[in-house]
Amino acid sequence: MTKILALINSDRWAVRWGTIVLSLLAGGLLWESAGWSSNQAIMAPLIGGGDHPGTIPRLYKYLVHDEEYRLSLLQSVGLFTTGFSLALVAAIPLGIVMARFVTLRIALESYILVLYVTPMIALIPFIMSIFGFDFWPKVLVVYLFAFFPILYNTLEGARSVKPEMLEVAKSFRSSEIAIWRDILIPYTLPYALTGVRQAAGRALVGMVAAEFLLSTSGLGEELITASRNFDMAGVLATILVITCLGITFMRTAQAFEQKYAAWRGVNR
Amino acid sequence: MTTDAIGRLPTERPRGKIEAVIVRTGAFFANILWGTPARAKITIKVATGFLILFVWQIGVALFAANFVAKPINIAKVFPSVLADPLFQQAAWNTLAAVFQGLAVALVAGTVVGIAMGRMKVFDRALNFYVNGLYTMPMIALLPLLTIWFGYSGDARMATIIFAAFFSIVINVRDGARSVPPEYLDVCKTYRAPARFVWFDITLFSSLPYLIAGFRLAAGRALVAAVIAEFFVSLNGVGMFVLSNARSFKHNEAVVGVVALVLFGLLFELTMNWITRRYFPWYRREGQSN
Repeated sequence: MTKILALINSDRWAVRWGTIVLSLLAGGLLWESAGWSSNQAIMAPLIGGGDHPGTIPRLYKYLVHDEEYRLSLLQSVGLFTTGFSLALVAAIPLGIVMARFVTLRIALESYILVLYVTPMIALIPFIMSIFGFDFWPKVLVVYLFAFFPILYNTLEGARSVKPEMLEVAKSFRSSEIAIWRDILIPYTLPYALTGVRQAAGRALVGMVAAEFLLSTSGLGEELITASRNFDMAGVLATILVITCLGITFMRTAQAFEQKYAAWRGVNR
Repeated sequence: MTTDAIGRLPTERPRGKIEAVIVRTGAFFANILWGTPARAKITIKVATGFLILFVWQIGVALFAANFVAKPINIAKVFPSVLADPLFQQAAWNTLAAVFQGLAVALVAGTVVGIAMGRMKVFDRALNFYVNGLYTMPMIALLPLLTIWFGYSGDARMATIIFAAFFSIVINVRDGARSVPPEYLDVCKTYRAPARFVWFDITLFSSLPYLIAGFRLAAGRALVAAVIAEFFVSLNGVGMFVLSNARSFKHNEAVVGVVALVLFGLLFELTMNWITRRYFPWYRREGQSN
């Protein structure tokens, strides 16, 4: 018993990769058999064939042969990028300004915390009835989802700027520009990047939510249409596409974080 | 300053009675508002709050349509909405679903997380799935879950569990990995029974991580509940907000949002308190303030 445990937990190359490959195979097999054994309106197999259309062939068809689907994908990415970059441009400078003006920080930080814990999803009905169903209301949704995580984390960084640093800078008559360039920005940026990573995940939820609940468009529309037609292969393929998008965004943000925040020494 | 013959400062000029009272009350209030740095902080915060509400009120009154929520109108409808049995039922439905889902996710997530953190087989086998499903936005899964579980409370429960489970697993896994190896060595040396190793060492030292994961999970679970209610039209706070906003009763709808925020804040504060009260040795960066 202990021998078996030691073997399957060992660091040998074959054991490690064997476990991973086996688990992937088992997962794929489970998916495949679930797809074949159930009604095609409930579950689609991974590869499929015949009257059980598979997810992977559908994904291939969507991405390679379906012009409309690629347009939807682009539309979604455009929505995400617009909202996210607007949030980035607005939140990070505001956070850094709050590192310099302590009174402003004290005045606003409680309210920022409140908005940070507000489930932005609950604001979608208001946006819907105030701003309507255009492109920009959807951008506003993505923006709101992304803005507060970034601002909240940048604020965290602003709080971590040591007052002694600013005092030393002041006693050496450092210029205002130098204070910003050498103290404030390097100190707050790593925190801001943690926020950016968090915001990437949230903004993706915002993107899909906006596409579901405001005027349907992009990947959200594809998902809803497929699920209304009980086209499970389409649903699963679109979920895979959205997940891949999410992983891409998160990995990009993480790479930035690791590059510029490595010296902070904490991995959150 | 000039002094008199025996070195005393000149006394203040004599005041009238009313003037003295004004000066004294002024000093009294100034002391309350600005007397200590802490008091000054609170004053600044409260003043900003009023300023925000004021700008909101005026801005909406001037530039927005009539139905858009204004602070004064919200305050007016607040008591009646809270007393409304429909609202109470909705709040109760959402909260009960969130707590049940969180409980399930907590237990299951802790077991899976500890298994992944301490045994490499499980880590290798499940890492791909856990990371992938953690990144997957739960809202994308909603159409699928409604088809599987029907347009009922089960779909909401499934969404909540799905949203909460993986963040707990990931945090508990990290916690179980960071158990100091010396403790485990001591256990081995003294031939401690397995239950001590698992419950007293591994589970206990990953508790702070568990709490961090639980906090994250609670936020996600609340969002999941609201999305599911929007999507499935279930009775709950999310639906309350949606239906009121759709019928242009924004003031009532805002009360629903306030309830959600209050729940989130209350949870956050409780967790903070628990961490500080029972795990004072645990300090994670950014959580200290």
